[in-house]
Amino acid sequence: MRRVAVVGVGVTKFGKHDRTSAELFAEAAAEALTDAGLPAHKVQALYYGNVVGGETEKQLHTGPQAASVLGIPTVPTTRFETACASSHAAFRHAVMEVASGASDVVLVGGAERVLNVTTEESTEYFAYASDARWEQTLGLTFPGVFALVARAHMTKYGTTEEQMASVAVKNHRHGTLNPKAQFQKEITVEQVLKSAMVADPLKLYDCCPFTDGGAAVVLVSEELARQARRPIWVLASAAASDWMLIGDKRDLSRVPATERAAAAAYRQAGLGPGDVDVVELHDCFTIAEIVATEGLGLFEPGTGGLAAEKGWTSLGGKVPVNPSGGLKAKGHPIGATGAAQIAEIVTQLRGEAARRQVDGARVGLTHTLGGNTATVLVSLFGRD
Amino acid sequence: MTEPVITLRHFFEKAREGQLTAVRCGGCGQLAVPPKEFCPACSARQWEPILLSGEGTIASYTIIRVAPRSHAAEVPYAIAAVQMKEGVSFLGRVVDVPLERIVVGLPVRFRPLTNGGQTAVAFGPA
Repeated sequence: MRRVAVVGVGVTKFGKHDRTSAELFAEAAAEALTDAGLPAHKVQALYYGNVVGGETEKQLHTGPQAASVLGIPTVPTTRFETACASSHAAFRHAVMEVASGASDVVLVGGAERVLNVTTEESTEYFAYASDARWEQTLGLTFPGVFALVARAHMTKYGTTEEQMASVAVKNHRHGTLNPKAQFQKEITVEQVLKSAMVADPLKLYDCCPFTDGGAAVVLVSEELARQARRPIWVLASAAASDWMLIGDKRDLSRVPATERAAAAAYRQAGLGPGDVDVVELHDCFTIAEIVATEGLGLFEPGTGGLAAEKGWTSLGGKVPVNPSGGLKAKGHPIGATGAAQIAEIVTQLRGEAARRQVDGARVGLTHTLGGNTATVLVSLFGRD
Repeated sequence: MTEPVITLRHFFEKAREGQLTAVRCGGCGQLAVPPKEFCPACSARQWEPILLSGEGTIASYTIIRVAPRSHAAEVPYAIAAVQMKEGVSFLGRVVDVPLERIVVGLPVRFRPLTNGGQTAVAFGPA
């Protein structure tokens, strides 16, 4: 297998847009190709993430649509759907296509448009990622899923609502340093605690927003990467799954798929959690960040809340987590999120993250979760 | 060809009558619910249907305040992960218990929740 590098990244502004998801992806992809110094006709395949296009835009077959709107209609393209981890799953498969020698230049990314429908509608469509017969019939929502995780974590470890709030405060602070973030204002622990209850114990400010946006990265073979301005190497890309139904999970305070994907990624790269300098992880809810920092081995089980409260995951802390603002403040266009996290880590490892730069970062990690904690992708990146 | 021991339809028909069903693996004794084609513990395909007691305790819970469109008229409502006496778990609605009385460890008992002709899993006071 060949080494694979990321040589171009692009992300739209996250927030509300009046363009289609295909248009948003095209903007991000154009930025990524310009960054890579490659013309569009060099792209040999497109791996594309999009989740609720069928519902919010009445649009299926979004892979070829995105390729057409971008202006590369003849490349092989596949749409990936692993709920919120879609473009990270696309990335893993694209890495394998380049590593295998099948292609030398592959475009990966995704886009989502949801702010064109009401919150009740988008809440319903996102809930389609839980089981139709067993869970949707109960009125389960994604805040509800992570509220169950939060309650289990609080019961087992004594994690507090204040500790969860400190994750939101930190990510909003980081978001003020990212011009493309959806939210660019600081918030306080008190504001989080006083915000409206969504699914007890999760409040509005424990939840990431609905977001429109697109993201793209350009992958190339080692040979082409040697000619690039500043290649960032893919050291590992691993996936793991878990039981779909909440009822089948034995311990809701943990996300076993994160633990399995992380173990596989560390093994592939020959690295451990102590080698990681900067992390972009899936903070769809504040408790999700706490549980992810534990599952990735950055902190012991049960201490993720303390780590957030003590500032160990802030810029300048032991292991900066979500310098981009994370899903919480940067926003969460679900089909684009995995690629956007990768774009941030590449930017960090190039030393181009400006005011949110993690000084001297050499190894970065991305973690993306899909659905009822049933899909997790973990990738590791390094610079020369 | 082996017919499934319990299909989703059978499970929910029984549930509507007030009985929770599961399957026990003839290979290793593992309980499963909902039924799976292969035993996740030993990969055997020898399921026997069993009836569960319906008794369990709340392992985690939440109260949904912002609902999907199809459940918007029902808020607030409680959903809990319930560990059954036999060891398997279900996600279900919590009904007939005041929301402020719901805690982790609360004993509950299965009851069907039928809405618009469709039955879902719910739990009420033990």
